[in-house]
Amino acid sequence: MAKCLPRLACLPFAVCLLFTACLPPAAANADTTLKLVEVLTSPERTDTLKGLVGDFEKQNPGVHVEITSLAWSSAFEKFATMASAGDTPDVVELPDRWLSLYAGNGMLQSLEPYLAHWSETSRLTERALQAARAVDATAYVLPYGLYLRAMFYNKALFRQAGIAAPPATMVEFLKVAQKISALPGKSGYCLRGGPGGLNAWIMFGAAMAGNNAFFKSDGSSTFADADWIKGTAWLVNLYQDRLAPQDSVNWGFNEVVAGFYSGTCAMVDQDPDALIAIAQRMKAEDFGVTSIPKGPAGKAYPTLGYAGWSIFKSSTHKDLAWKLIQVLDDPRGNLRWNERVGALPIYQGAEKAPLYSDSRFKGWFAELADNDEVPTFMPTDLPGFAYFADSLVVRTSQQALLGQISPEEMNRQWAGYLTKARNKQLERARHE
Amino acid sequence: MSERAEPYLYTLPAVLLIAALLLAPLLIGLSYAFRDITLLDPGSGGFVGLEHFRELYADPSFWNALRNTVTWTAASVALQFGLGLVLALLLSRPFRARGLVQLLVFLPWAVPSFLSALNWAWLFNPVVGPLPHWFASVGLMSAPENLLADPKHALWGPIAANVWWGIPFFAITLLAALQSIPRDLYEAAAIDGAGPWRRFRSITLPYLAPTMAITILLRTVWIANFADLIVVMTKGGPADSTQILSSYIFTQAFQRLDFGYASAIAAVLLMLLLAYAALLVLLRHFLNTRN
Repeated sequence: MAKCLPRLACLPFAVCLLFTACLPPAAANADTTLKLVEVLTSPERTDTLKGLVGDFEKQNPGVHVEITSLAWSSAFEKFATMASAGDTPDVVELPDRWLSLYAGNGMLQSLEPYLAHWSETSRLTERALQAARAVDATAYVLPYGLYLRAMFYNKALFRQAGIAAPPATMVEFLKVAQKISALPGKSGYCLRGGPGGLNAWIMFGAAMAGNNAFFKSDGSSTFADADWIKGTAWLVNLYQDRLAPQDSVNWGFNEVVAGFYSGTCAMVDQDPDALIAIAQRMKAEDFGVTSIPKGPAGKAYPTLGYAGWSIFKSSTHKDLAWKLIQVLDDPRGNLRWNERVGALPIYQGAEKAPLYSDSRFKGWFAELADNDEVPTFMPTDLPGFAYFADSLVVRTSQQALLGQISPEEMNRQWAGYLTKARNKQLERARHE
Repeated sequence: MSERAEPYLYTLPAVLLIAALLLAPLLIGLSYAFRDITLLDPGSGGFVGLEHFRELYADPSFWNALRNTVTWTAASVALQFGLGLVLALLLSRPFRARGLVQLLVFLPWAVPSFLSALNWAWLFNPVVGPLPHWFASVGLMSAPENLLADPKHALWGPIAANVWWGIPFFAITLLAALQSIPRDLYEAAAIDGAGPWRRFRSITLPYLAPTMAITILLRTVWIANFADLIVVMTKGGPADSTQILSSYIFTQAFQRLDFGYASAIAAVLLMLLLAYAALLVLLRHFLNTRN
């Protein structure tokens, strides 16, 4: 209890305890209950999760898993409130951007001792392990899949505008966007000006700079550098030249995906999970997936995200929780899960599975095979990254798109925030 | 002595209950404003005095949200009240199928606020909604574009949704008050030669005044705190042009996890609303004593 800080936040938890204590025990010999929280919930996903959890329960008689499903749109605040009130689950689905918060505060169990003895550890890809160990070089999460950005393009609109091939460079991208925008009521690019827009700013900024380092050796952010500003200014100009829909300044995930499949805009950068929604509404021959366009240095930096499973340090059934994660994330369970989730595999050689040999995934594997497409983890390990990405970036990038501030000013504000966060992180690392 | 204390003892349980349920959470919440409370940060919790309020004073986003809160509240309440009053007056006189019309008028109130926000967001969307095309053809806009993406006018999108959604509240309450005015007063006034405007000014308005004061007070406080429509339609954007204090509090508390700063903003909002309520109560008192 000493851990939940605003001491009164413990109150609701204490009251709950009190009430459950008053209830008669459900079964004489209470069986073990594991608590599992999923945060990127959708109804189909929950069904798949229940199926996997059912297997686990069959293998471990007497163990019951209680699943809590949080809607992604409010998951961050709900889970943060739960955790700070001491109501922590045994296993949680953890997206990359939460890792620094919970691992950094020492709330997650290191999975290293388990990974050391697991037969499947050696089959994990290097990238999956790198993602697992993003904070303090310790595996606090076992990823279930990677989310790599690629460029979806509308083949029907491309044909209409007389464009033969998808753009490979930013110069070509701009030309294609201009040709498509010349069609009545159509735009070239489905820009994401609202929540979640940071990926595109980073990808085009890094491609222009020809470098994906976010910090210099002294801990200061590279965002304020002239080359990065050139990249963000390029995207601002694209919007101001009306190559993206005018209301895309407010668009989030649903809007860019809907804008793409409705044919309002012809290109959108998205992760493989968007494939599910797009493939349901567009004919397979009408869209394609290509690599993120390259910058002047001949390189592109598609962002790489991930989500996985973590165990809370406060869990009293850690070994059982690890067993549950094994069932969810061993090659068999992981494939079943990714069939639903649409993320890229964490195991070597998994691209040969029937799921990934589907031609629609070809774009991502081509991107991964290209040495000039450098998958880039965003600096999600920084303290305060969630606020940076979801609030500061949204506000300032909208101001820049609308011409209220210059791209230089926007990059300066980002660099200021990130440099401070980086120094805080380095200071914390020195203390430990 | 004990006899004098007796009545207080009877009320004590109720007073304690109210204090525990209302006052204690309020005071605890206010105390956060003077402390460094960050969720999930083991190093936070210390007393920082007026630090949050100094930060607030220098925070342009706060002043922007405050300005937007005033516009949002004043425009929404004024339009809801004006149109609600007109509707109540129209509905108070008998005509054919009045029951049906009343039912239709009250319908928006039954629509969940999230649903009406989504509906209005679609109406303003140039791809699927008719409004931008109408605005363009009557010359309000140069091209059919999304109002919600225009930083200068975006706030009027949620205001329109709020007015549509909230008119029935005023119409219902004012209609009920209208129907309690004795009919013979109007007849007597008409016989004495009072025209419709005079009857409205000298009979309807004074009878409605108490209801008006209390409904306007309630709605103002309610709307100033009401961020559902804004959150669904624009999420405070573009570029904070539709951010109001209550949505800003939410951002600070749940995106930055800075409960201390969020509480400081909430404390300021509370003080402003209390001052406003006191003003309205005084005004009502003044009007009552004058009569």
